[in-house]
Amino acid sequence: MPVRINDSKLATLYSKLEKQRQTNPNVKIGQDQVLAILSEVGDRSGWSSSKVLTALKKPGTTFDQQVALAKKGMTAAEKKDLAAILDNGTVPLDPSARKLLESVLDRGTPPPPPPSTNGLNITGDQKNGLAGVTKAGATIEAINISAAPGGRLHMDDTMVVGKADASGKFDLAKLTGEQAMREGDQIRMRARYADGTTSDWVTIKAHGIEAKDSRNAVVALFRIGLTDAGNGKVSVANINEGRQVSEPGARLQFTNSRTNEKTIVTIGDDGSFPKDCKLNGKPGDSFSVAATDGVNNTTFATAVGNVTVPGGTPGNVDLIPDPALHKDELNADGTPKYSKQRFTGPLFVNGANFEDVQQGQLGDCYFPAGTAAVAKANPEFITNAVKDNGDGTYTITFKQKDWATGKMKDVPIKVDGDLWARPYGGPLYGRSANSGDPKTMELWFPLVEKAYAQWKGSYNAIGNGGMASDVMEALTGHEGNDMYISGGNKDAAWAQIKKSVDSHLPVAAGTYGEDKEAMYTNTGVYADHAYSIVGYEQTGAEKYVVLRNPWGESEPAGNGPNDGIFKLKLDDFAKLYQNVMYTN
Amino acid sequence: MAKPPEPIEEVLPNAQWVVDGEVVEVLSTGAEPPKKDAPPTATSVGRKVASQKVKLKVKRVLRGEKLAEIVVEKPEAGYSLKAGNHGPFLIDSSRTILGRYGPDSWSFERIEKALKG
Repeated sequence: MPVRINDSKLATLYSKLEKQRQTNPNVKIGQDQVLAILSEVGDRSGWSSSKVLTALKKPGTTFDQQVALAKKGMTAAEKKDLAAILDNGTVPLDPSARKLLESVLDRGTPPPPPPSTNGLNITGDQKNGLAGVTKAGATIEAINISAAPGGRLHMDDTMVVGKADASGKFDLAKLTGEQAMREGDQIRMRARYADGTTSDWVTIKAHGIEAKDSRNAVVALFRIGLTDAGNGKVSVANINEGRQVSEPGARLQFTNSRTNEKTIVTIGDDGSFPKDCKLNGKPGDSFSVAATDGVNNTTFATAVGNVTVPGGTPGNVDLIPDPALHKDELNADGTPKYSKQRFTGPLFVNGANFEDVQQGQLGDCYFPAGTAAVAKANPEFITNAVKDNGDGTYTITFKQKDWATGKMKDVPIKVDGDLWARPYGGPLYGRSANSGDPKTMELWFPLVEKAYAQWKGSYNAIGNGGMASDVMEALTGHEGNDMYISGGNKDAAWAQIKKSVDSHLPVAAGTYGEDKEAMYTNTGVYADHAYSIVGYEQTGAEKYVVLRNPWGESEPAGNGPNDGIFKLKLDDFAKLYQNVMYTN
Repeated sequence: MAKPPEPIEEVLPNAQWVVDGEVVEVLSTGAEPPKKDAPPTATSVGRKVASQKVKLKVKRVLRGEKLAEIVVEKPEAGYSLKAGNHGPFLIDSSRTILGRYGPDSWSFERIEKALKG
């Protein structure tokens, strides 16, 4: 969607920049360009735009003076135009240009916490927690609305973080766990008084905690619902209104993978999309989503993942660019440390076997564990999903629940045989057990992983953890579930494992990852790791769970060849594993 | 962490010592690294625990000068050590343990094969 600018001079200027960018992708709005824009805005102060530009560029003119000059001549319509350039513009702004525009629009440095209209004032920074003044004895409630979009909280689901003393002061009030405050986080809070009434909501931007704001805007992709609106438009909605898509003020860039058109949408104060938000697109279109909180990822270089418009014609899907490397495999300047190699081996060697799957140097253990579990349960789920198009490309068809109908829909992704490779040979990421040779390696697993990375945005998007149940759902179309194992439901976990294995449905398990690492050293089982469950055994009263490490090796001693397959007594399994993941 | 161990061929050149060792004492523990933002049951999140300074009793030296005991640093990583933990330790010139999972990174068989080159 081209940025809409009403002022003709500004529109001409911006259109020129857009055209320059079409031939040179490095074109940005830097200091010269932003001053030219502001000169068109400041020209109603009685000066011509060239006179304003001279004043803006005059050596010694301070930043504040530049802001004042622009604001002096700015009309309400021009203010809207500047906001459009800032929020929806297709030409990137460098940080100094952005800062200048934001200051002209009074959006610059976050204002100090607003004084409360009803009895809650926050004082100081948040180095040691929240501190402030309210009515004596009031409890202080808060929610971190920068962290909340990733979970199931509503914006009113606060936790009590402190209590005011007899003089009304409180301090050291901290949010904990996943809600813990980090630099730049938006904290929404209020005081609850003894009579049950509350103060107005106050939102502050946390500061003084860390040297820099390193948490980008969290995006709940699973709450983004796209629907065909007809006439080449797609409606964008929060399918779980009341819960956030992202933090207020976050900007989300949607890139249509078919047309490469980019559209930026700003999240409102309710953590949701503006009303009647639309993109250009049609059924079947896939959009890559990237986000910025205004500090991190301001160029939208890192994508969060992809969302698709239900409908379209599966199979008639375009080959889209290869998924980018994980950030660990990029140089400081963003260039890849590795190169790609074309793999031309057979798609399947004796069908799809769970032992084909080997995890590469990527933090996506849940993916090979889930995929191998599917291959073990019913290889046809794999062979039906992966097709050779006969032209050097392959179409992998995942399943995704259509939020509008509640039914599973097809998500076809077309990929070629190019894989990121090590300089001395073999793929960097997922590989097959038969070979690492480009001419002979069985291709199905690396290609399914590549397509999943393509679907979700990049190898980085899938390489920082996840749930095997999501992968099993995407490959089978059966809804994924997660059962937490505790001492009390060991038997329920066993019953689920038996049911899944006997029903030829995939099942997997995950180990603990937080503060329990010491428990795993020398056990042959690894922390923060997912395993396929490939069977069960019962000898008299003793029950065993048979598991497979997706590395294709490394297992507890005494389990035969080092192929990653081993069995554990149910008691040991329940001690080392925190959840069982399965599909209905 | 849950990535596989690094290829031994990439790590071995940096190992000044390769020893069969056992942790006899954890001498100190560093500050906890920041927690990762992820659902608690997600795996492969790359969670790490604090660094540790540990004393190793050396049973056998496969590479490097002979020693009976060595104090080494376990960096912030996805594993943790306690007294009694044992196995092959690859140690670099700054006396830091190499390998994503310390003594659980590679088997003796794999290391000995790589040492023979």
